[in-house]
Parts: sequence; structure tokens; C-alpha cells
Amino acid sequence: MIPLLAALPLSFAFATALLIPLHRESLAKYLFLTGAFVPWVIFLLSGEGSEVVGGWTRMGGIEVAIGVYSKWFILAELLLFSLAALYSVVYFGRKVKPLVLLLLIHTGLLGAFISRDLFNYYIYMEVASVSTFSLVAFPGSGEAKRAAYKYLMLSMISSYFFVFAVGLLYLKTGYLNLYLMSRVITQSKEVSAAVAIAFTSLLLKAGIFPLHSWLPDANSAAPTPLVILSGITVNVPLYGMMLLSTYLPLSVPFRTALTFIAFTSMLGGVAMALLQRDAKRLLAYSTVSQMGYALLGIGTGNVLGAVYYSFAHSIIKGGLFLSVGSLSDARGSRHLDAISYRGDAVIAASVIALSLAIGGVSPFVSALGKAELLRRLTWGRWLFYLVGVGTMAAFTRLNYWLSRGNGEEVDWIYRLLSTVPVFLAVGFGLYLHQGFDPTDAVTVGAGVLAFALFRLSGITDRDIRFELPVGRDVSINAALYALFLLLLLHIL
Amino acid sequence: MIDAETVGVLIMLIGLYGIISNEKPIKQVLSVNVLSVGLVLFFIGTGYIPNRTFPVMPANPVDPLPATLMLTTLVVDVALTALALALIMNMEVET
Repeated sequence: MIPLLAALPLSFAFATALLIPLHRESLAKYLFLTGAFVPWVIFLLSGEGSEVVGGWTRMGGIEVAIGVYSKWFILAELLLFSLAALYSVVYFGRKVKPLVLLLLIHTGLLGAFISRDLFNYYIYMEVASVSTFSLVAFPGSGEAKRAAYKYLMLSMISSYFFVFAVGLLYLKTGYLNLYLMSRVITQSKEVSAAVAIAFTSLLLKAGIFPLHSWLPDANSAAPTPLVILSGITVNVPLYGMMLLSTYLPLSVPFRTALTFIAFTSMLGGVAMALLQRDAKRLLAYSTVSQMGYALLGIGTGNVLGAVYYSFAHSIIKGGLFLSVGSLSDARGSRHLDAISYRGDAVIAASVIALSLAIGGVSPFVSALGKAELLRRLTWGRWLFYLVGVGTMAAFTRLNYWLSRGNGEEVDWIYRLLSTVPVFLAVGFGLYLHQGFDPTDAVTVGAGVLAFALFRLSGITDRDIRFELPVGRDVSINAALYALFLLLLLHIL
Repeated sequence: MIDAETVGVLIMLIGLYGIISNEKPIKQVLSVNVLSVGLVLFFIGTGYIPNRTFPVMPANPVDPLPATLMLTTLVVDVALTALALALIMNMEVET
């Protein structure tokens, strides 16, 4: 029954697309919502387990599974997609094509999260990516098209190198199934090289600093329903890294390098977030920093921490993009000076609560993820705390600007939807027994103080953006990717 | 003699170099296609075993799996190239 999780949204995407030639566009909404929600039934009925599509043996078929870790990814995807689906029905109105693309993203994400076979994982990741590129370009502005082109090119390069790495592993072991691969694999130069190439590709797709540059562009130009999903689309490469690190041998220097990259991403993301005046770019740079946390879990061999943290992050960041996105859509601007939550108390409450949540304040579920990550961290604890304070400072900045000026009221559906992630973040925190920790007040206080200092010194009034012609931008980032590839190949 | 896998990897690197050294979007898309052709050649090379025959009603076949995998990659490649070209056309109209 598990393959249906990906097959059902796919068939509904097809059916929804068929409505256009049949001139039945008014029905699209209902088919879309059915397709968006029907995987819930499969997920709740099937439970944990694994099966091979078509009933073949593992050697001949494609294995799919809902595992101890992947169920959290799937749950986050279903929660977030349900939110985004309800949002987009109002947002896109009578347009059918974006709804079809959203269902294809649904298919791709679910298919990737259940696969235990490297090639199958790649295909589903591509299904989600191709639909994402076209949706990023959907607004039709020059900015959106350039962002989509840049995302497409960089993602395509890293995909091909990922498949190359899969090919190397196949050449070495004769399998694509990860379980079978892990039984026969031995540490060798070819395997290490394959792992390094695959990781570099996935690091780019996960938006890890300094390979992140497509992420703020794509997230700021894309329509709001898509950016709600951005918290979960970056989890697909993360899931891939998790699969690779659990089934394949990773050398100690390589793990140390990953931890180092994770810290760089955490710090770099936060520093850039502090210097943005575009609300969506600020949130996107915060994603870069939060993905660093998740990578930290993989680097230190703490998969559970990475899973909890990315689960928390996707729900909270989805909620933040939803509330801030609906504010900026109502005003028609993304600039922090222009938008304000003054006019809408519900959105204001959601943004404040989610800002605390992303800083890892208890009893939100993100606090649990942080505690779990810290448990296995042997060095760099002070950096970890520093980034926590930096994140709080960046979000104090967001709230400071949003609380000034006057703003519009947003649609009641958007308002209602924006409260859901808050309840989810608290609810899962309590369900997973996250207690209340008074020392979190120190982090919040330090964050506010840091913001006050930055504000006095005038650093945060700047707006850092690198404006380059899109072709040159792609060239530079491809060169950066090549350098990173050489670096990781050297370290392995 | 040099084998298909090595040539494939070399072509992939040429493609990557093409993307790094060209700033015109259309040339970058062509370079990505060179990269993908290199990848296809690499995979076909991995399936090849000397002195084996084609894998139809096989007695002693080469490995057919890499070739089938590459069919899927080619499909992804065509879809992405079409999308990239559409985006470039739209960007050109604007500027």
C-alpha cells in the first residue's frame, strides 16, 4: 500500500490537468484538494514497514518504506502540504495549472521520502524539482524568471553529478537498493569518492552555505504557496544525506568536514539574515542557517537530532512564510519598511510565537531538536549558542520592523491557517515530552540585546544583495560547486 | 585502449567547464546537455562486459540495467532542457 502514497497524488494531478481540455475548470479545486489530502489515509492506514513494488525480491524491484525516521519527514510533508493546499485554493483562484504543478510536487516529495533505492530517490527528487522550477517562474516577473533559471541550472548540474555518484556505487556493488548495497560495500577509494560527490550535490540542493545562493532568490520571487513548501523541499536532499550516512561508510575526516560545513552554514545564514531588508529573503537566509543545524546532526552521526530538528524547522518556517507572505501579498511589497502586522492581531500573534519557536524556545518542538543535537555535540558548543542568539536577533529585527507602521487586514482563511503551525509546534513539543526550560529566556534576552546593539551601531540598516547578470551568477556558482567538489574529494 | 567510462567522465567535466566559462544562458544550457551526454556514456560503459551479447532473449548478456536507467535520465534531461529554453526565451523578450 505504501507506493500509493506517491501514486495517488500523481493520478489526481493527471485528472486535474485533464479538466483544462474538458472545460471543467470549476471542478479543479475539488480534485486538487482530494489529491492533496488522500495520502493522509494511506499514511495513517499503512504504518511503519517496507515493501517492494510489484512483489518482487529486493534484488529485482524497487523498495519503498515508511521507517522510524522517514515517518517524521512524511508527516511534516503532509501537514505542510495540507496548509499550502488550502492556502493555494484561495491564492490561485480559478487558475488550474499551478494546482497541477503543486500536486506534482506533492508526488515528488512523498515519493522521495519513501524510497530506499538511490535511483528511485533521484527520479522523485527531480519530479519535485521540475515542478518547483516552473512554479517559481509562475509570477512571470523578470526576477521570478531569473530566479527559476538559476535554480534550474544549479540544480541540474548537481543532479547529474549525483547520478554519476550513484553510477559509481552501482559499479562497485552491483545494487541500487541501499540495504543490499550496505551488505556488500567495503571502504574503498571509489566508494569514498562517490559519497563525496553525492554529498556535494545534495549540499547544493539543501541550500547549505556557500552553495545556497539559489535559495534566497527562489524563495523571494516564488508565489507564497510554494514558499510555504520551501521548508520541506530542502528536506528531500537532507533525507538523501541521511540515507547515505546510515547505509554507507563515512570516514571520520569526512564527518568532521561535514560538521565544519554545518557550522559555516549556521553562522553564514544568520549573518546574512541580519543584513536583509526583504522579509522573504530574511526568512530564506534563516533557512540556510537552520539547514546547517540539520547537517550538524548528520555530521555528528546523530540522525535522530537531524530528523527532529528538520521536522520542527519545516513546520515553523512554513508557518512564518505563510504569515509574512500573506502580509506582503496584501501590501504588494516584500520590503520590511512597507509591511506591518499592526492591522492584524492574529497574524501578529502567529509571527511572534513562530519567531520564538524558530529560536528553539521551549515548549516548542524545535527546543527538543536542539537539545537532541547538543547531546552528541563534542566541540563547538559555544558556536551553537552563538547562532541561537543570532537567530533570535534576526527575528527580533523582523518583529521590530513588522510592528511599526500600519498594515492591512488579511483574508480570514490566511489568518486562520497562520495559527495552525503555532498549535502544531506546541502540540508536537508537548507530545514528545518537551518540558519548559527557564534558561531559554537568556537566549531570547541575549538576542534582543544583540539586535539593540546592532541597531545602535547601524549595521542592520544595510541591505546586502549581490546583483549580477543571471548568466554570470550561474557561472560563479557552478565554479563554486566545482571547487567544493574538489575540496570534499580531497578530504574524503 | 581508453574505456567508455573514462571518456564519459571527461565529457562531463568538459560540460561543467562550459557552464563555468560561458556567461550566455543558451550556451550554458548546451553545456549542461554535454554534461548529461557524458553521464549517459559513463553509465552505458558501466554496463558493458567484454565478449557478451545484447540483452534480448539472453544467453550471455551485458548488464541491461544502466541503459534502462539512462532512458529515465534522458527523459528528465529533455524536460529540463525544454523548461530552461522556455525561460531563456522569456528572459530575452524582456531585455
